[in-house]
Amino acid sequence: MIFADDAARNSSRELLRVENLAKRYDGETAIARVSFSIAAGEILGIVGPNGAGKTTLLEVLAGLLPAEQGVAFWCGEELPQQRRKEALFYLPDGIRPYQDRFAIDVMTFFARVYKRTEAQVAATIASVGLTPVLGKRVHALSKGFSRRLLLGLGLLTPHDVLVMDEPFDGFDIRQTRAIIDVIRQEAARGRTFILAIHQLADAERACDRFLLLAGGKVRGIGTLGELRAKTALAGGSLEEIFLALT
Amino acid sequence: MRSHEPYRARQAPLAPLLAKELAEIVCGRALWTMLLLVCPLIGYSFVQAVSLYGEASASAQQSPVLAASLSPLDGILVPTFGSFYVAVTLLFPFVAIRVLGQEKESGALSLLVQLPYRSSTLILAKLTAVLAAWTLVSIPALSALAIWAMIGGHLAASETVNLLFGHLLYGLLVGAIALFAATIADSSATAAIIALAVTIGSWVLDFTLAGHSGVAAFVAQLSLTQVLRPFEQGLFSAGLVLGGTGAIAGLSALASVWLLPGVATQTKCIRSVPCVLATLLTLGLSTQIRQTIDVTEDRRNSFPAADQRLLATLRLPLIIKVYLAPEDPRYGDLQRNVLAKLDRAMPNVLIVLAGSRRDAASRPANDTYGEIEYSYGTRSDVSRSTSPREVLPLLYALAGVQPPAAAPGDAYPGYPLVATADATLFWFIGGLPLLIAGAWWWSRRPPVISLFTCKGAQP
Repeated sequence: MIFADDAARNSSRELLRVENLAKRYDGETAIARVSFSIAAGEILGIVGPNGAGKTTLLEVLAGLLPAEQGVAFWCGEELPQQRRKEALFYLPDGIRPYQDRFAIDVMTFFARVYKRTEAQVAATIASVGLTPVLGKRVHALSKGFSRRLLLGLGLLTPHDVLVMDEPFDGFDIRQTRAIIDVIRQEAARGRTFILAIHQLADAERACDRFLLLAGGKVRGIGTLGELRAKTALAGGSLEEIFLALT
Repeated sequence: MRSHEPYRARQAPLAPLLAKELAEIVCGRALWTMLLLVCPLIGYSFVQAVSLYGEASASAQQSPVLAASLSPLDGILVPTFGSFYVAVTLLFPFVAIRVLGQEKESGALSLLVQLPYRSSTLILAKLTAVLAAWTLVSIPALSALAIWAMIGGHLAASETVNLLFGHLLYGLLVGAIALFAATIADSSATAAIIALAVTIGSWVLDFTLAGHSGVAAFVAQLSLTQVLRPFEQGLFSAGLVLGGTGAIAGLSALASVWLLPGVATQTKCIRSVPCVLATLLTLGLSTQIRQTIDVTEDRRNSFPAADQRLLATLRLPLIIKVYLAPEDPRYGDLQRNVLAKLDRAMPNVLIVLAGSRRDAASRPANDTYGEIEYSYGTRSDVSRSTSPREVLPLLYALAGVQPPAAAPGDAYPGYPLVATADATLFWFIGGLPLLIAGAWWWSRRPPVISLFTCKGAQP
């Protein structure tokens, strides 16, 4: 379901808008007519259970999967699929890039590609807490440090929008809070985040707005307050709202 | 505050991408394993070649005619690099596949394609890594050449460079096939099956269809092994270089089309059509280019210089009708001694193979079998000889020109060398593998992390 008033409310500082994205796998609908918009510096959580279509939505959005239908707009201008990588950077779930290389080598590679200074690299490494494992090979990293490495790579990119699939998977509660702080600091500097999260509690802590996805369809979109008003669940948690809408 | 301008791809530097690709290939076990396997293979071939060459040289010490037939190209270079060819055919696909397969399997490809590089740039960087890998795996073969020179063996620069270039072209072709296979396959294992099916398949094709005529001969010409043949014979063929380069470029272009994950298969197929057409056009064009240079010191692919000059002035079409089956050994002699040389020396030669296997079987009933008919202008003559000593005067008579006077002093002396290289086997099975293992260990050392990076700094 699309909330037109929500889009209108944000249109003045709207950075990215997506209209009617659709994707099918072998005749089965993965995502159906998904539309949303996001403002600069906002953290949008795409929330839904496993199989809801979150990853497909992110990959279609990032241009890594061909879509059957749909358009994306960047600051009001159409952003064709082949130019998405100029505006968005997508960090997939469950990958360990360059497993035989050392963590510092992978960070250095991204830093050199995007012409980052040593000070910027050092600050990024410190912010995501990668320092203890810089001399380890990627395949030897724990799941949590592997996530931190990915986040570090994302932060080294100059893109305005970072799209992350399950960014808190593999973290305990303290680590999740620390990573949320990092994301919030980046958002405060103007970076925009689209996070696909299946843990509703994590999403509630991390995100400004939520897109509730189930069966490939948008079931609701808005801030927690807006969703509470829509479901008439004053004081309801995101979990209760999600159950009410799906 | 951020500007919200899209990040422009054209600004990205190439150096980190190339450094990453080279580091990736050096990090993998495939390269080092191949290097270690190639050492004894090439070492054994080299030692055997030197031993046989030494025995032949001992017999030739009393006979200048026999000595003149001793060329290091045939005796040492081709056998030594023959084992390198086998290694490149069977093992190099595994090394080349790694430049993409590993990224595909680990998911790093989804990050790589988002970096500010075009897919063609990514593929070119990977092809550069394949070239670097080929250079590394050729070290044992190059060390064999160095040993040959050190024990007093002769190396003709043009022959050696030409042969090395041929192997480079073949190695890059195998690498490009492997790279394309890695692009279209889901896993490295599938890519390896595809690449080996092509390389070994064309090898088998070459063996089974050798000496056949007609369609079988045409199919055998498509074998990858054919890329190396002229270089092993001491010929630099412009058409072959164009064809090989075109095939490498075509495969690379196809790989860059199929690399991008966000494009529908149908679109990729449509985008592949121009690549395939351009490649086929280049290959077709390459078959029409007949320019070759004989780089051998003994000029084995050419008539004597005076004859070459005179034959080049005979502008009318020369039609040669050969009544021999392709599998007849006389045809092989004729092809090597006369036809191939005439084809290179004269501007307009048409060779018609009129004999067949059936003619050979029914030879008693067919009087023309074994004849070679030469037609130049309005005149023609028939011969059964496969030697240029008889054929060239016949051609000059047909053309009505005087045979050139033989130029003295340009006879090939031959380079006999009575030597043994048995001791060098220790280099190939001991010293060189140890050095390679050391380099492998060195390449895996942990990086130096600066104190600045460890402590963290404020941006």
